[in-house]
Amino acid sequence: MTNSINEFEDADLFFVTGTNTTAQHPLIGSRMINAVQQGAKLILVDPREIQLAGFATLHLRQNIGTDVAVMNGIMQVIIEEALYDREFVEKRTEGFEELKSVVSRYTPRVVEQITGIKAADIVAAARLYAEADKAMIVYAMGITQHVTGTDNVKTCANLAMLTGHVGRPGTGVNPLRGQNNVQGACDMGALPVVYTGYQKVIDPAVKTKFEQAWQVEGLDDKAGLTITSMMAAAQRGDLKALYIMGENPLMSDPDTRHIELALSNLDFLVVQDIFLTETASLADVVLPAASFAEKSGTYTNTERRVQISHKAVEPPGQARADWEIIQEVCRRAGYPMDYRSPDDILQEINRVTPSYAGITLDRVEKEFGLQWPCPNEDHPGTAYLHKDKFTKGLGTFLPCDFKPLAEVPDEEYDFILTTGRVYYQYHTGTMSRRIELLEREAPEAVVEVNPDDARRLGIRNNDRVELSSRRGTITLKAEITQRVPHKVVFSTFHFREAQVNLLTNPAHDPVSGIPEYKGCAVKIRRCA
Amino acid sequence: MEKTSTVCPFCGCGCNFYLVTDKGRLTGVEPSPQNPVNKGMLCAKGWNSYEFVQSPDRLTTPLVRKNGELAQSTWDEALQIVTAKLLEIREQQGPSALAFLSSAKVTNEENYLFQKMARAVFGTNNVDHCARL
Amino acid sequence: MKTLAKKDLVDVLRYWTGHCTVMTPGRKSHDEIVFDEFDEATFTLDYRKPSLPPKSSCLPQSETIFQVDSGTYEPRISEAKVLLFGIRACDMTGILQSKSFMTADTDDVFYRARAENLATVVMACSGPQNETCFCTTTRSGPFSKQGFDLQFYDVGDSFLVEIGSDKGAVLASAKGFAEADDEAARKRVELFRHEAQGRIALLPEVSQAMERLERGGVSEELWDKFGSKCIVCGGCTYVCPTCTCFNVADRHSGNGGGERIRTWDACLYAGFTKEASGHNPRKTQGLRIKRRHEHKLLYYTDRDTHEGLCTCVGCGRCSDYCPVHIGTIEVVKAIAGEQS
Repeated sequence: MTNSINEFEDADLFFVTGTNTTAQHPLIGSRMINAVQQGAKLILVDPREIQLAGFATLHLRQNIGTDVAVMNGIMQVIIEEALYDREFVEKRTEGFEELKSVVSRYTPRVVEQITGIKAADIVAAARLYAEADKAMIVYAMGITQHVTGTDNVKTCANLAMLTGHVGRPGTGVNPLRGQNNVQGACDMGALPVVYTGYQKVIDPAVKTKFEQAWQVEGLDDKAGLTITSMMAAAQRGDLKALYIMGENPLMSDPDTRHIELALSNLDFLVVQDIFLTETASLADVVLPAASFAEKSGTYTNTERRVQISHKAVEPPGQARADWEIIQEVCRRAGYPMDYRSPDDILQEINRVTPSYAGITLDRVEKEFGLQWPCPNEDHPGTAYLHKDKFTKGLGTFLPCDFKPLAEVPDEEYDFILTTGRVYYQYHTGTMSRRIELLEREAPEAVVEVNPDDARRLGIRNNDRVELSSRRGTITLKAEITQRVPHKVVFSTFHFREAQVNLLTNPAHDPVSGIPEYKGCAVKIRRCA
Repeated sequence: MEKTSTVCPFCGCGCNFYLVTDKGRLTGVEPSPQNPVNKGMLCAKGWNSYEFVQSPDRLTTPLVRKNGELAQSTWDEALQIVTAKLLEIREQQGPSALAFLSSAKVTNEENYLFQKMARAVFGTNNVDHCARL
Repeated sequence: MKTLAKKDLVDVLRYWTGHCTVMTPGRKSHDEIVFDEFDEATFTLDYRKPSLPPKSSCLPQSETIFQVDSGTYEPRISEAKVLLFGIRACDMTGILQSKSFMTADTDDVFYRARAENLATVVMACSGPQNETCFCTTTRSGPFSKQGFDLQFYDVGDSFLVEIGSDKGAVLASAKGFAEADDEAARKRVELFRHEAQGRIALLPEVSQAMERLERGGVSEELWDKFGSKCIVCGGCTYVCPTCTCFNVADRHSGNGGGERIRTWDACLYAGFTKEASGHNPRKTQGLRIKRRHEHKLLYYTDRDTHEGLCTCVGCGRCSDYCPVHIGTIEVVKAIAGEQS
């Protein structure tokens, strides 16, 4: 997030898209509801009628995968009606003419045809967003999990910059992170192209810096493989060994059957986890790890706040903290390591990571965490980014054209399947399905079907249905609900009994590598 | 009874709560009243988050595949196999034949160490995690 | 009546720890104050009402109630002796109400064992702890009238200490307690009580809402409006001193063994009332919120309330900690403000 969680309490307008916030980030969703009840406006762009729809000033139910067109349409109106922030555009951005020329084609009428949103609503949304004083764009995986995910994100940024809704409290572009330490994993360089703090692996100066810090020679200076490419490389036979820590790609990755082939094609698979997950069951070696309650360390939340968590209980049996296991593997591989505690590691992170330099154990113990960038021990941390200038200087508009879903419905596969989570379950269910109350509330996989479609297909509430894509078939229970629009069905990836990722399309964004979980073609029929 | 300050293991909000323990067993949570993120509140997942930790399904020993089946093993044997195999594959096929998947669920320190292992010890940038999934 | 110099309090607490587990306010990391086992280094008297009531001392959020192993059954009845130091009168009333609910009609042996082994030292409030306190309305504070073992009144450099039970008399026999001049002490306590009561505003909407509920005059729209914004965290029940609903589940450990665990439940969750057929008699979130407030403001007997107005004890926590402001204060105000 460019901005902070507490700023949700005093923003004037939220532009919310691709996030079912009350279910997935409940304490951010609640802040939006409270703000709306105090008079803030809410523009919700989401095909589903989620809880926030009940609070929306405007609910734009776009055809799935048309987000770029929606936002280009809004920008077209803002430019056409001269509602944009001229001063901000002139002083702080570049590329406005290119943006103008791209979005000029997206008149409300054209956008209505692509997105299914009424032209008048596009105009209304444009005026509301542009005229608000403090407007926050809020998004999550509904935006990013498309083959056009990067374009979607760029377009969000274009919209914020065009109206000067960035660099002040209560504004900005605010992706909500789905896991408690996704932000931290990225910050710590668990990415194929960067070391900690987004220092690029291809930069020779950075390479030298880490060679010195780590006392090694010849660090790899080429970009590594993303998770999606790793699976492809394994399938081709180029990748021989995979070491997985605390992930369950067999359930979470698209097109499960291909993932299974890829993993079984490896010479060696090691999985380090707290449970014997679906993925761990395929491993050659499984290492038992400690859970969050059984170790200490820091986590970075969606607003870049680094917070400390302490050890409350001992790990079960012989399980060990992940850092202890990794250290032992490194030692045995001939690399000396002698960290006595997570704090020793944090000190090294402080030394090699400019944005984390001031985030010391001492400070996170005393204060309620610190938000990076925090370049030194006297720095108070940063509540919102891009205050007077963007990291790179001027903000560049990166206009994008609309591109359709990788797999659009046809005569046979005539529905779009979009996937996500429900409130009571979490990700692949490894943790939440072992919590009795949560499991009671959401015990099985359900597919949401619109009432008109259900009537036509002879499906009644709670009927078992068969859902198939070109990649697989699952059977699960139907819930007949207005929450989904016509010709769209929604389901979740929590349940191993009906793995929705057997169906999803592995086609992915060329830049980020994110697969298109949010839309693939399926057919549905009532089980005999 | 003892209360230990922790960060919720579910979404990215980063709510803080105390884990309540009684004789080494977790018995519940108490939301942090003053933390600016959650201010004494939690969601249904947060309120119930302590429970999976003590599930009887937890892994308690290393497992090693023998004759096609995963069998209980020792740390010494398991780590021996892991290092030997990774080094052997690197030796024969080069570092790019290895890949490492880190976790959005573990600490910063562990993520740091994991990518350091991939890069400094095994020589590859093939390291990623599930930010995309 | 006894008196105890403040400078002697830590010695007394230390002495008590020799006989039981003593829970007191303590300063944690980030300077946050939480009730935890007495620790001299972190103990503080500078505290407000804690975010959770002390109900976990009788009903832990999660507990194993029995264990089964190769044909043997072993109930897990707690024998732990716990002393709660410095709890507030609202929470004391909550403990009394819950105890009669959990042991009077059906004897919950697991609960009763803990309740009987519990000692309570109330710290009378000199005024509101924060803006959501309304114990004077619910007649459950700012000081306790019954049920406590000891009650402390902070009168500057010392405490006046009221003895409420035989257990209390034993506790107050510790070194440091001295006899107080009864007449002067009684007057000082009366003044303390009078001033404290005067500082906590009355919330007349509580009885207005109770009357309206009694007459059945609350619209369904009111409940649906609350229901539409509820994020179903269950927090209002978890932070409530008088909510004791629990769920029971078996945890199998293989070989026919395992344990039965009970955990706090919340009537705000749909699954709380969902029947095996799939039918749910409380089918909307509005209905669930309605039923919760009816339980606090409508369904109770005099036996349940222990001289209180109802089974809400006015601690205000549901208003403090509901993420979307559906606390008792907001609910009674909405009911009282609704046109009849």
